[in-house]
Amino acid sequence: MSPDDFVIVWQQYPAIWAGFLNTVTLLVFAGSTSLVLGIVLVPMLMSKKAVIHRSIGFYCECMRCVPFLLLVYLIYFGLPTFGIQLSNWVAGFIALIIYNSAYMAIILRAAWRDIPNETIEAGKAFGLHGSKLLIRIVMPLMLMRSTPVIGNQMTQILKDSAFLGIIAVSELTAVMNAIQATHFIPFASFLSAVLLYWLICLVIEFVTLIFIRYAEVRRA
Amino acid sequence: MTAYDYWSIVQGSFTTVGVSLIGILLGVPLGLGLALLRWARIPFIRQVCYLYVSIVRSCPAVTLILLIYFGLPQFGLSLDPLAAALIALSLTAAAFSCEIWRSSLLAFDRQQYDAALAFGMPAWLRVWRIVLPQVWQSSLPGLVNEMTMLIKSSPAIAVIGLVEITRAAQRVGARTYDPLPPLMFGMCLYLVIIFVLVRAQRRLERKPAGQEVRV
Amino acid sequence: MKDTLDVEDKNATKVLQVQGVSKSFGSNQVLRDVSLDLNKGEVLCLLGPSGCGKSTLLRCMNWLETPDAGSIRLNSQRFGAHKGGAKMNDSDLARMRARIGMVFQHFALWPHLSVIGNIVESPIHVQKRDKKAAHEEALALLAKVGLQDKANMYPANLSGGQKQRVGIARALAMKPDVLLFDEPTSALDPMLVGEVLEVMHELAEEGSTMVVVTHEMEFARQVASRIIFMDGGEVVETGQPAQFFSAPQTEKAQQFLTRFHQRG
Repeated sequence: MSPDDFVIVWQQYPAIWAGFLNTVTLLVFAGSTSLVLGIVLVPMLMSKKAVIHRSIGFYCECMRCVPFLLLVYLIYFGLPTFGIQLSNWVAGFIALIIYNSAYMAIILRAAWRDIPNETIEAGKAFGLHGSKLLIRIVMPLMLMRSTPVIGNQMTQILKDSAFLGIIAVSELTAVMNAIQATHFIPFASFLSAVLLYWLICLVIEFVTLIFIRYAEVRRA
Repeated sequence: MTAYDYWSIVQGSFTTVGVSLIGILLGVPLGLGLALLRWARIPFIRQVCYLYVSIVRSCPAVTLILLIYFGLPQFGLSLDPLAAALIALSLTAAAFSCEIWRSSLLAFDRQQYDAALAFGMPAWLRVWRIVLPQVWQSSLPGLVNEMTMLIKSSPAIAVIGLVEITRAAQRVGARTYDPLPPLMFGMCLYLVIIFVLVRAQRRLERKPAGQEVRV
Repeated sequence: MKDTLDVEDKNATKVLQVQGVSKSFGSNQVLRDVSLDLNKGEVLCLLGPSGCGKSTLLRCMNWLETPDAGSIRLNSQRFGAHKGGAKMNDSDLARMRARIGMVFQHFALWPHLSVIGNIVESPIHVQKRDKKAAHEEALALLAKVGLQDKANMYPANLSGGQKQRVGIARALAMKPDVLLFDEPTSALDPMLVGEVLEVMHELAEEGSTMVVVTHEMEFARQVASRIIFMDGGEVVETGQPAQFFSAPQTEKAQQFLTRFHQRG
């Protein structure tokens, strides 16, 4: 291994940039979609109707017990048996979204339960109810309380995206793997990948910090 | 699916559990060491530990395993897949458990430590008999949670040729052209393993007698 | 929009009518066949030892707790059911609740909204009032409780007494028919109790209709138009404050007051 290896890696920057962008795209789209879906799911998790909260609860618990790659295989290899053939990208996206929406819902539910009862009761006492109570009182508080954990989940999504290289999605790790195989520079390539993932995580942390500051002012 | 197919997936579960278990057994003490180093406030080492933990925690399992398996031989260190996987998982477990230990240590009542100091206990004895037993108790649920996380990232070891549950199931499916049943069976195995762990974690979270439970 | 609420007799002086209300939590019966009336302009103080059911009764008055038996009427409109017996839906319930202002023991301000945001939240989003008008009225209410310079601050940065005064302003902003106070000063530092009681004094003098659950005996003596003393889920004694405090007629009331005087 010589320091020149890193120069060779740097020279491949068009390919690396493409892989990097793909990873970031997966993160941003799957992350935001899972968060939105999580917000949609959490009232169902908290629903008084047993049918609803049990079935959604079951789905969430399944996702907690299953490794992400297994879900990817189920969607990419398993669905064709029902006639649904998905491309590796679409399968990857759907897997990320299905998997992480469950986690988001669980995170948000914990934050909802943490909201002091009186705060929500005051909403009811002042005539807020149904979706208005949910949107104007519960959700802002729920989101502000769970900001750090959501940030952590985004990191998790980033890390799970690397599994998609196994089904030939050209995300960052897969691209680096191709480079190292071509140029015989495994250490430099993969270390560069590790550092790039670290960089993305630092950005996630930074963005999370902004939201945490917003919540701190209100001490929500 | 034949009986042999089921058996091959079950064999994969031995690899899954075995590798994760050894990873935890090696990684947790290592993480404790890192946490203690940071707690002791030794200047340069603190930063190094922080950097290590930060980088490894943001690294996907697949990338780390590839780095170790393909990268280390460039330094003359030839590894077989199992060794590489164990190193990768231990390093990951160390980084995550470091954070768990750290929060327990931060929550630890420093007065007790100072009391031991006042009674003339040497440093190692202070740590061993006063700090560790209590920090261990409060860390246990987090550590079991980490074991669960390690199991869920274990499919990454398949990229260097180790056959764990997910890879075994996928292989059976590729051979029989019927991917769903083996994958569902693999899912059941994971459910069983993780169910056992989650149960253990919940039992541990109910504090033992003699300690205050904060309501 | 068709008003599904039954026609209310707004001129009736009976603002609140509680009839035969009972409530249990599991095997614990908290309210036993309680009845009382509240007239416009009256200040009712609910007194009694802990666990006597006074807070539960208060919370039944705006249907935060649903009684197991009996009825609660606001301006002759029955809570929870229409005249024909049909069950009331959530939005009708909400509309009834919007006629009642409530002040909570632990303030229950919404932390993600500013002080003025808290006050205008319900007038704008429930009562559908004009935003500008609501804001102006809110500022006037803040001035009334002495907090006009805190309008854009967040509740987290206020003291307990200030939070509770905002809570009162928030309740007043609804232009309610009745104000409910659930132990409004119990969670406050003793130093801060006075500023809140002062505001409540003023409201009583202005003729507000109030129901107050409190342990502040001096306040009750000065401000109440009627005392309702409860024990074990029942109304044990009612009367004018002057008479209740100097010559309680029932044994339970006497015990309660002596215990209270002993604590000083």
